[in-house]
Formats: sequence, structure tokens, C-alpha cells
Amino acid sequence: MSPSASNRDYNAMSDEDFRREVRAFFEREYPPQLRYILHRARWREMKDWWRKLYEQGWIAPNWPRERGGMALDAGKMVVYLEEMERHGVARPPDQGITQVGPLIMRFGTPAQQDHYLPRTLSGEYIWCQGYSEPNAGSDLAGLRTAAVPDGEHFVVNGQKIWTSLADDATHIYLLARTGKGAKKQQGISFLLVELRSPGITLRPIRNLAGHEEFCHVFFDNVRVPRGNLVGELDDGWTVAKALLGFERLSIGSPRRPQYALNRLEAVARAKGLFDDPGFVDRFTALKLDIEDGATLYGRFVEQVKRGEPLGQDVSMLKIWTMETWQRLTELLIEAGAEQGVVAGVHDVAGVETDFLNPFYYSRPATIYGGSSEIQRNILAKYVLKLPS
Amino acid sequence: MTPNLPAGSGAAAEHRQLLAESVADFATRGTDLARVRRLRGTSAEYDRAVWKKMAELGWLGIVVPERYGGLGLGLAEMAIVARGLARALVPEPLTATAVLAATALAAAENDALKEEQLPRLVAGELLPALAWQEQAGGLDCTAIETRATPFEGGFKVNGVKRFIAGAAQADAFLVSARGAGGVLLLWLPREAAGAQLKLEPLADGRSFGSLRLEDALVPKSRVAASGAAAVEALGRAFDHGCAITGAELTGVMDRALEMSLDYLRTREQFGKPIGAFQALQHRAVDLHIHRELASAVLEEALAVLDRGPAAPARAATASRVKARCADAATRITREAIQFHGAIGFTDEFDVGLYLKRALVLTAWLGGASWHRRRYARLAPGARI
Repeated sequence: MSPSASNRDYNAMSDEDFRREVRAFFEREYPPQLRYILHRARWREMKDWWRKLYEQGWIAPNWPRERGGMALDAGKMVVYLEEMERHGVARPPDQGITQVGPLIMRFGTPAQQDHYLPRTLSGEYIWCQGYSEPNAGSDLAGLRTAAVPDGEHFVVNGQKIWTSLADDATHIYLLARTGKGAKKQQGISFLLVELRSPGITLRPIRNLAGHEEFCHVFFDNVRVPRGNLVGELDDGWTVAKALLGFERLSIGSPRRPQYALNRLEAVARAKGLFDDPGFVDRFTALKLDIEDGATLYGRFVEQVKRGEPLGQDVSMLKIWTMETWQRLTELLIEAGAEQGVVAGVHDVAGVETDFLNPFYYSRPATIYGGSSEIQRNILAKYVLKLPS
Repeated sequence: MTPNLPAGSGAAAEHRQLLAESVADFATRGTDLARVRRLRGTSAEYDRAVWKKMAELGWLGIVVPERYGGLGLGLAEMAIVARGLARALVPEPLTATAVLAATALAAAENDALKEEQLPRLVAGELLPALAWQEQAGGLDCTAIETRATPFEGGFKVNGVKRFIAGAAQADAFLVSARGAGGVLLLWLPREAAGAQLKLEPLADGRSFGSLRLEDALVPKSRVAASGAAAVEALGRAFDHGCAITGAELTGVMDRALEMSLDYLRTREQFGKPIGAFQALQHRAVDLHIHRELASAVLEEALAVLDRGPAAPARAATASRVKARCADAATRITREAIQFHGAIGFTDEFDVGLYLKRALVLTAWLGGASWHRRRYARLAPGARI
């Protein structure tokens, strides 16, 4: 339990009161220099903020109270995320909180829960995700990293890639092949691995924005205790799949493109672009694409608030929001003209504007978390019920 | 139908459900596309017997206050009817008469005129149309060339009104004109001396009326509204008409998408249903997303409009709906033709009827670009 994990029942509060309290806390406590940062926040930048949230009892809004979380229901969770986005609060390296923690709670043994959960909450353990491989991207179930039982251990060999913030992390949660089944989704197991284990090598990968935010992780005869298996042997796909749904709602939040929209508006005003009817039409079309997307998002939020599970149709939010975000950043570059391709932060009529970073960071948005093409496959199959 | 239920209440939701069911029932049993095909291109354009049936179902009085024989419900209810009937391409002029004309008249000042005409409109006995527009693309309700000059206590009216939907069998027109004291909204029976109606055939087999007025006489008792009240009545009718046209466009896209998906599931080429090809699947998904966006925006906008916002917010909201629904319907009905291949280009196959209806509904009351520009000027926080 975090030191001051309160026993408060946030769900008993009205949305408005809860929103007010969250907003006030963020405004008072969040480091101003970290508002609306465009890059993926690093642990060294975020560790003080993590500590602050931990002491407040707010680091794990999705966790149950007995594990030190806020136990927010879906409606309050949406409010919490909305306030983060509104104030430009960056996500710390929080995959332990959002991903592996809930999985350990659901599929882990009591010993695993007692060991990992408090350390994850306090920030002693920082997690990264070992799913993708060079030959298993969208076709994740084609992964080949192997974990072979050897006495009380698994011996892991293979490689993982696009592992965000692996060099900030202490641990990695891993999908590895432990057997062969009739379907390739079978025979995969979910393992927890300490990154300092002998045989693990990290190689940072520089992205288009020039930042080293993800890594290539190599496993060479890495010995992992059998006690680090989560869920049943060969049943890791079930464990990993349990997380979808809510994630696709938050990933499709219409506030994501807000920075680019605000800057585009400021740049257009400074440069007199609103005198150009052609620009006004394009700008307004994009603005409406975002606002109308927000209305669609609101429908799904209402569904969550009513306690109804999200269906496969939530995939449409990610497609729409991310593709709109990309088009917006493209117009921002265009609006900047020559200045739009000059690296760094510019002063445009008193507004700090980075033209290139939003453009770069919106590129992978249609790739990660299930590419736009995969999302369209999902909608075609499960929502439109088209044949295959 | 039960009038005056508080919006958002369980009773209102239940009532809307019943309404949707009765509309769906009517669309399957009270009309069909053979009837639509028979009426297209005729001077009748629609069927007064069917119109009377719609009146009996209460639909013509949905937005008319109870004191004038209506139900005093909102646009949300009207949209349920409009969307459901548009799916079946019902040719009766619901939006033109029961929204545009009814809203303008209900918002007018002349109570005697309202007490006389609105109950007849609601009962389906009298079918008025709103004659407000003069120029193609001229959507400013106050840009009026038609003149009303004082004559024997009333007015003598001269000018040409165009693009009047529902005009084919209209019994009367609510005509906007400019007088010395500002804008006037005048009630003019179809057979009035000096009024001459011509019909222009439309892509969808319906027509726009052109009303030429040469010294048409309007007695003082037939002045529905004047000055600010007339402008407000016209503005409200236009905005509410845009929103319900959005509902019609949504009904059109609902059915066009449904037909396309059915076709993708059943039409076989290269030994499998064409819907198994990813190139077509992804395009179908994009159309589905556009339909869902339009539907979500429509629903939210109707709730906003039913709260009775001030004129600028009302206009911005109406424009947002019309722009989104027009874009989505345009995209969906055009792709629907492509999905169907050559059969889609035949007059015999029904999907083309939806393409043509979307064309007309998109152009009528302003296309997507016009509405986006208006939205840019009026939206909250807009500084363009």
C-alpha cells in the first residue's frame, strides 16, 4: 500500500466534484515544464511526479483500493484521463500500472501479487512490454522468442523490438513460445523477466523524431525462474488479450490532437491564413473532424459509464482520431511553410510552436496499438460481418 | 402519441422507441420503392392520401405547439420520423412542410393566422411550403429582392421565389418579402391572383417550385410576421430544416450502406464473396465510420437544438449537422454505386435512387462547404 493510500471512495463523489479535485491537484502539483511535452516522458523526468502521485495515493487510478489504487469506476477513470489530457500531464512510464499490474492481479499467484504489486506501485519496478518481434508485428501470434523449461527455470532465447522505454525499465513482461498448438495463438506463455538478468542486451533505436524511446531487446540463454510464469503454461495469449477494450477507448481520445490544433490556429492567425478561404475550409473541416470525433467518443464514454462492456466497434475511434491527428499535423507543417521544416521550437507571435515534432509523433499513431489496417480488419470482421 | 415528455426521461426514451417502431412499420407496409418510382417525374410528386395517413399518425404536428393542435415535441422526435422515412425514400414533403413551413408559421406573430392554419397543417388538410430563397447558393434568409409595397391596407408583392421544396401540391406559400419596414413573412394561397408556380425537375424525381409574384395581393390579416420576428422565424425554420435534412441524409446513408454490405456479402467473383477482399472491406469500414460519425453528431445536435439555444449557437449546430451528414451521405452513396459495379449504374437497381436523393438533400439548404464556412464564423470560440 502506498503510504497515504486513502480509503476514500472516489466513485461516491459526483463527476463534477471529482473533476474539480483532480484538476486542482494537477494544476497545483504537476511540474509546469512537463506540460504538453511531445516526446514520451522518461523516468528521470517523471520520477518526482511519480513519487507525488504515489504519496497522494493516485498513481494507480485503475487499481483496487486494497492494492493501493483509487479503484475508479469507468466513468471516473474517463474524468481522470480527461483531466490529465486537459492539463497536458504526461504519462510516466506506467505500463506496470496500466498493463502488467492488472494482469498480475487477475492471473498471478498470491506470491506474485505480493511481490510485484507493491514494488510496481512505488516505482521500484518499472516495466516495459516485450510483445513485438522483428517478424511478429501486426501478426503478433507469429512470435518466435522461445522459453524452454529447464528444471526450475525457463531458458529464453530470441529478440523483442519496439520496446518503449526499455532502458528506463527494470523489468519486462514477455510473450514467449513455450509449445506448439493447433493455432499459433496457442503455446505462448506470459513471463516476467528482470532486465538485469545475464544474457539480456538492450540496443536503443533512434526514431524519426531523433529520440531513442524504444529499444531492441536481445535474449541469449536468459534464465527465468518458473515462478515468473503468469497464468497457465501455453496460455499467455489469454492473459495478454485481457487488456484490450478500455485501452482502445483511451487511445482514441479526441484530446490527443489538441496540441496540434491549438498551434495550427495560433500559427494561422499570426500568418493571416484565415484570410485565405481555401485555408479556412481545410482548417474548419479538420476542426469539425476532431469535434465530431469527440462526439462519437462521447457515445462510447457514455456506454462505459453505464457499465456496458465496449464492443469491437470501439476500434473506429482509434482509426478516426489518429488519422485526423496526422492530417492536422500535415497542415501545421504546411502552414509553417519554410519555417515548418526548421527543427526546434519557434516563437510564432508569442506562441511556442514545434512544427516537426507533432508531425513525427503522429506517424506511429496509426501503427502502434494495432495498426489502422488491423483495426479495419477487426471492424470488417466483427462489426460489419463481412466474409473472410 | 403522447405530447410533452421531459427530454431524457425514461418515458421520453420509451416514447421515442415506440415512435421509431411505428415509423419502421409504415416504411415497410405503408410505402415501397415501386410507389417512389411511379411518382418520380410526375407533377403530383407525392400522394395526398399518404400525407393524410402521416397526419393521422401525428407526425405532421410533432414540432407544432399543442395549442395549435400539434404535439409540441422536439426535433429529436421529428428526426426519428425523417430518418426512418428517408430510408424508404418516402416522397411526401415532411421536412419542407412539417418542419420548414410549420416552424416558420409557429414562430410567427399573427395568432389568428396560426390558429386558422396550423391545425389544418397538422391534420394534413392544408399543405403549405416555405418560399424564402431567391438565388442559387443565396442562403441568407434576409437577402431578399422580393418587394412588398403597401396597398389598400395590405401589400402588393413582386418578385421570384425559387427552390421551393414540396411545392408540387402545395396549397399555400409562406413568402418572405422586403417592405419599407424590413422583412415580412406573408401567407399566400396557391391560387392567389398574380402568383404563378412553375416546377423544375430534380435529380431525384421530385421538383423545386419557382413562384413568380406579379402584383400578388396580401391582405393585412395574412401578414404572418414582420421585422425581427419574421427574421427569427425564417432563421429558425432554416436551421431546424437543416438539422432534419441531416436526419434524412442519415436515413439515406443507412439504407445505401446496408444495401452495399448485403451486396458485398453475397456477390461472388473469383470464387468468393467480394466482401472477402480486403480492399473492399477497408473501404466499407470507412463508410461505416462516416455513418457513425454522422449519426452521433446528429443525435447530439438535436439535443442541443431542442434546448432552444440563441440564434448563433443554433445556426452553428445546424451547420455542423448538415456539413457532416452531407459529406457522409455523398461519400456513402457514391461508393455504393462503385461497390455494386455495373448493376449500380442501372436505373432498375434501387441503389441509384439513394445516390440521387443524397444529391438533392445535399444541395438543398446549403452544401457542406457553405455550412462549414458558416460554422467557422459562428462556432463558440471561433475567431475567424
